[in-house]
Amino acid sequence: MALLDVDDLVVRYSPKLHAPLNAVDGVTFSIAEGEFVGLIGESGSGKSTLANAILRLTERPGRIASGTITFNGTDITTKSADELRPVRWRDLSTVFQSSMNALNPVVRIEPQFRDAIELHSSLRGGAVVERIKELFDLVMIDHRYIRAYPHELSGGMKQRVNLALALVNDPKFVLLDEPTTGLDVVVQRSILENIRELQRKQGFAVLFISHDIGTVMDLSDRILVMYAGRIVEEHTTADLLERPLHPYTKGLLGSYGDPRSETVRITYVPGRPPDLSQPHQGCLFAPRCPERIERCLSVEPPLLPLVPVLPLNRGPLEPAPAQPFVGSVMTPRVACHVAQLQATAPDTPGLPAPTRTFQGPEFVKTIDESEGALASEVFLEVKGVSKVYTSRQGFSTREFTAVDDVSFELRRGMVAALVGQSGSGKSTLAKLITGVEKPTSGEIVFHSSEGPIDVAGLSGSRLSRYRKLVQMVFQDPYSSLNPNKTLQYILSRPLKNHRGLRGAEARAEIDSLLERVALTPPDRYRGRYGYELSGGQRQRVVIARALAAKPELVIADEPISSLDVSIRAEILELLHQLVQGSDVGILYITHDLLSARMLADEVIVLNGGKVVEQGKAIDVIRNPTDAYTRTLLEAIPNPFAAHPPVEAAG
Amino acid sequence: MRYFLRRLGYFFLTLWAAVTLNFLIPRLQPGDPAEIMVKKLAGKDAELDPAKVAAMRAMLGAPDGNLFQQYLAYLKQLLSGNLGVSYTYFPSPATEVIGKALPWTLILVGVTLVLSFLIGTVLGAFAAWRRNSTFDSVATLGSTFLGSLQSFWVALLLLFVFGYMLGWFPTAGGYDESTPGANWAFVQEAVMHSVLPAAVLMILGPIGWIMQMRGTMIMNLGEDYIRLARAKGVPDGQIAIRYAARNALLPSITGLAMAVGGILGGQILIEQTFDYPGLGRLMGQAATAKDYPLLQALLLLTITATLVANLIADLTYGILDPRARKAGA
Repeated sequence: MALLDVDDLVVRYSPKLHAPLNAVDGVTFSIAEGEFVGLIGESGSGKSTLANAILRLTERPGRIASGTITFNGTDITTKSADELRPVRWRDLSTVFQSSMNALNPVVRIEPQFRDAIELHSSLRGGAVVERIKELFDLVMIDHRYIRAYPHELSGGMKQRVNLALALVNDPKFVLLDEPTTGLDVVVQRSILENIRELQRKQGFAVLFISHDIGTVMDLSDRILVMYAGRIVEEHTTADLLERPLHPYTKGLLGSYGDPRSETVRITYVPGRPPDLSQPHQGCLFAPRCPERIERCLSVEPPLLPLVPVLPLNRGPLEPAPAQPFVGSVMTPRVACHVAQLQATAPDTPGLPAPTRTFQGPEFVKTIDESEGALASEVFLEVKGVSKVYTSRQGFSTREFTAVDDVSFELRRGMVAALVGQSGSGKSTLAKLITGVEKPTSGEIVFHSSEGPIDVAGLSGSRLSRYRKLVQMVFQDPYSSLNPNKTLQYILSRPLKNHRGLRGAEARAEIDSLLERVALTPPDRYRGRYGYELSGGQRQRVVIARALAAKPELVIADEPISSLDVSIRAEILELLHQLVQGSDVGILYITHDLLSARMLADEVIVLNGGKVVEQGKAIDVIRNPTDAYTRTLLEAIPNPFAAHPPVEAAG
Repeated sequence: MRYFLRRLGYFFLTLWAAVTLNFLIPRLQPGDPAEIMVKKLAGKDAELDPAKVAAMRAMLGAPDGNLFQQYLAYLKQLLSGNLGVSYTYFPSPATEVIGKALPWTLILVGVTLVLSFLIGTVLGAFAAWRRNSTFDSVATLGSTFLGSLQSFWVALLLLFVFGYMLGWFPTAGGYDESTPGANWAFVQEAVMHSVLPAAVLMILGPIGWIMQMRGTMIMNLGEDYIRLARAKGVPDGQIAIRYAARNALLPSITGLAMAVGGILGGQILIEQTFDYPGLGRLMGQAATAKDYPLLQALLLLTITATLVANLIADLTYGILDPRARKAGA
């Protein structure tokens, strides 16, 4: 008997102003006691809706429309709040996504643990405090924080406290919904290790939900892949890596590359997820799928176990009941005609050959490309730059060195990556280079096509002329793009302000910009509004806007970290093409060494405002000399390290 | 502790600034008040008689010395509680005039404020908890409708219906024939006279509190810690009161403390309409009669009350919301 059984679950949203949609549609799976199951899905795939449904926290306008959720032998699908209460947190607990707000901000931590304990156990008084101390030990938090308020804790500590809170009653099942998203890579790493270790020791079952296939694969025994409200593949982790079945899974896996190899390839899934409120026919992934066959466009593939050989001519396939997971052997399930046919009727005409990689577009970076860029002309020199912030409070001043004696050079047509955790000074450095802040000491010289510029000495109109040369691409395309303006308007602003282009001239330039960022044909995009675009498309517009000023330097601050994994490579490739054979240089600011390796020719690792390592990207990745760089490298979730692939990627 | 000291420091700084402005502004006005008064009494075209002006100065308590000396003298007077002599109630000192009106306003506005706050907050919390229910719609729509009415209009309406048409309540003043003091007849009369003004305040008062509480609580109900409380299995009633309402109450309490400061400003329009002998009516009279000392005293009182109320709001907020303590320190 499985601990959690979800059978044909449908969660329907019926908002007042929009068409209704099934955010979760016909989901069936089960989790056995003590099992660690991962659920991967990108934004909008319905994974959080599913999580809420399992916790029976679905809120209007959503509701469980059909299907059942059986927990520990009891059907909890329609249980009332009062009937559910004894089960909650006793057997079934959770750590929320962005748990920064999961703790009541005006109440000390102790009472928040106390009510969870006292509601479900007979512990009272001092025994409760003892229990909290035990839990704090498990998650490695100092006991003195028991009496603290949530805001006195850092993000990572809060998340550990939330984890401790979830384990307060020794639950049978813990649902982790993106528990480390938004935390620093290194912190994320240590929390995930903590989770896995506790799970092994205490034996609770876990459903671990994340958009990041790397972290999911690092931790889980078995993986569910979700797309457009459906489970499209279920597989053990090792098998998923070796024999991914669904093309979407292949696409997700393809977004990881081995940063150490000479030539790195990462793929991306073109297009965008379907709008579930629209009527659809056939497989929902088909429009983005490179392996689709005719059948995919007309018949929606059910999620079926792969092994049973069912002759196709016996009519439509009947969904088989979910099979409980036994040991490490299980029958994979996949919702894909192509994968099913490849297993059952390999000689079907028109069927593509089985493959373990995504056959879509890919972004390739070779070492040779870097060689050229590293020999071109230097146009930005950062010499011994420091930035000290002083904060005054009463009569005492406190000094904080954000950037400490940093030097590097940037060449035309080259990408340099500034890599570091939050607080490493990388964003301050960007502000110094754009002239937003002045360095406390040191010098920044920008050799523009019109002669050298001393950036620190700029002000007024000379500073605004300089800004034309240096443009920014920000992290979040949702907030850096006005959603209520057309693309034409958004792009016309910098053309007018920096280059004085108007009318027909501007229109021609807008078209060529849209083409440059592959939003083609321009006619289709010019009149669109920001809110109509997907995250990837928005980021393209942000890049086009940066290019509109004809900059010589583009500073891209975490341009892909808020995008879905499957489309990140798309933006990386776009940035890559910008510098190829052009005069533009890119300063790429990131916490992610893999993407730095993909895009950058040179990597500069910052820690506490100081450069700790600097060199050719491939050298830094392969032979890191600094301990901090090694920490960052180890923090990259790398499914290929844990489960080495049979053949080299590609 | 530091937080409290800082707040206290700000309080005294603002108070000093207000007092100084209150001193300076009349002195920056052109013309000599004594000359103006003499002119007013003697007629526009009459020659100014220096003796009359000097007499008027003496009567008003003419300031001597330069501005700084005057300022010191003013501060000294303030500390001893001397706020000057009212022109309209001459020779009563302003403090005495105010002292007579103060209890009326304090009781009328104070009681209705506390009741409005309690009723409004409870209704608002309930509307938020049962969001989109019939109750919520009625409360929201009703509040929006009532909130768009002007207080004097409601006052006139009540006065007309219950005062003149039905004759249930007296139409003006604070009492009729009894002697003010602790006697039953007076209390009875005062209560009867207060019913209509209080009704106006009670109709319009809770609206702000309803809207504020409802808004903040709906926002709080969307927070993760409420979801977590549900997942923990905390009973609904406890979630509503201990989690959502308690946190949503914080801004309302600040609002209440500030409104308490506003009590001493009185309710000018309503008190005028009902000819109610409170501070609001007094302020209206002082303004029309150009009774500067009285007006200045009233302003000083209002400012001080508002500042004290703000200080209390800040201090209690620090107790209620630990985040404020950190941000302030």
